[in-house]
Amino acid sequence: MKPSIIAITGGKGGTGKTLIAVNFAILFKNLGKKVLLIDCDVDNPNTYLLLGGKLENQKEVTFFLPEFNTEICTKCGLCAENCMVHAILQVKDQLPIPMLNLCSGCKLCFKICPVNAIEPSSKVVGWTYKTQIRNLHLWVGELKVGEARSVAIVEKLIDNMKMEIETHPDRYDIIILDTAPGAHCDVEKVISTADYVVSITEPTPFGALDLKRIIKLINLLGKTTKVIINRSSLLGNKDLFIKELHDDGIKTLGDIPLDKEIVNSYTIGVPIMDKNTNFNINGKGYLAFLDVFKNLDQWINSSGGVQ
Amino acid sequence: MVKKIIAIPTFGEGGLQSQINPRFGRCESFTFVNVENNEIKSVNVISNAAAGTMGGAGIQAAQIIGNNDATDIIVGMLGPNAFQALSSINLKIFTVGQQSISVNEAVKLLLKERLTLLNNANVQAHTGMGGGRMGRGVGGRRSMG
Repeated sequence: MKPSIIAITGGKGGTGKTLIAVNFAILFKNLGKKVLLIDCDVDNPNTYLLLGGKLENQKEVTFFLPEFNTEICTKCGLCAENCMVHAILQVKDQLPIPMLNLCSGCKLCFKICPVNAIEPSSKVVGWTYKTQIRNLHLWVGELKVGEARSVAIVEKLIDNMKMEIETHPDRYDIIILDTAPGAHCDVEKVISTADYVVSITEPTPFGALDLKRIIKLINLLGKTTKVIINRSSLLGNKDLFIKELHDDGIKTLGDIPLDKEIVNSYTIGVPIMDKNTNFNINGKGYLAFLDVFKNLDQWINSSGGVQ
Repeated sequence: MVKKIIAIPTFGEGGLQSQINPRFGRCESFTFVNVENNEIKSVNVISNAAAGTMGGAGIQAAQIIGNNDATDIIVGMLGPNAFQALSSINLKIFTVGQQSISVNEAVKLLLKERLTLLNNANVQAHTGMGGGRMGRGVGGRRSMG
């Protein structure tokens, strides 16, 4: 059976997306499920730190760039005229000049050159990693610092995932995708592929504002979401905050209060929900995690695994 | 005889009286001033077809400058993409900085060698895009969505 794909997002940065993604992965694993966790926050991939592991099996992600063979080029101007992002500059009677930092990698110039003077070349824009930590499979994408096309790395991760599902439909029961903060195209690509979208927020004006933006994006993509309020005891406004979400028709999976043990687990790289740790299984953070996870699991089971 | 064709991004079509436009890629017009032996011989104004494009205005504008055989250009602001484009077509790039002056004044300053030669972009990409009608920000971090 095809795995259930869960995206963990939320708009605002620092709300606890990665913390929750990691612990949900652990909780599914504890239920005996085969879990793949994919860190799609390619600007700042740090899931592996929360799991206390390291990145392995590095693979380069490359991006097409045109290379001009100046001996063959007839200076016809077709490539410069048709380049959608104007990454080719050609002044009359002169050879085309590629502006490689603007190139979107669409290959149009390569395809339309009538004399085949454009050869495909490439550059490394980032890396993917496949590693195994705490009996979880973890895939990570990392953008090379200074490169602009973060979405190329996210697309690579998603393509790899789709290929994996196609070739090995039974390898995973659950795939958890941890998105970047924000409501931009990297996040959109991830949400588009998910069966379930969980949005993490915090009970502050910033959390509420960014949550509304991400929900708009989720809805634009034809999906629904359920919300988790993390650090719910931060300002003493939990009940009002949740009521306002419900009044706006936003569904919730529950809340996780501030908890020293969670902070501790985060800093030492041991997920609080992992088995055989020294965390207090009657602690408020631990219990809240169990509660929220139970609601997520119910959501998935009630919709038959795939929404 | 020393010949120069000096290109200047401008407001409107007032020739030598036009004010220099601080924006390069999205200026209204380019004024080309033909100079022979430090004397202005003729002036030619071309409206900037790149002004309203979604992205890459600086590159297209550089193409207009190159196609009109400019040897020198006087700008206000120039972003990195436009700088790279202009540098690659071999012309001298001068700046008047923040000054709001006429084409006539700018050309005179250039001929007296009183303008700064620009060796690098002096503003960030897309500074001249203005509000509202944004392109997709091809040089930006989140660029392909």
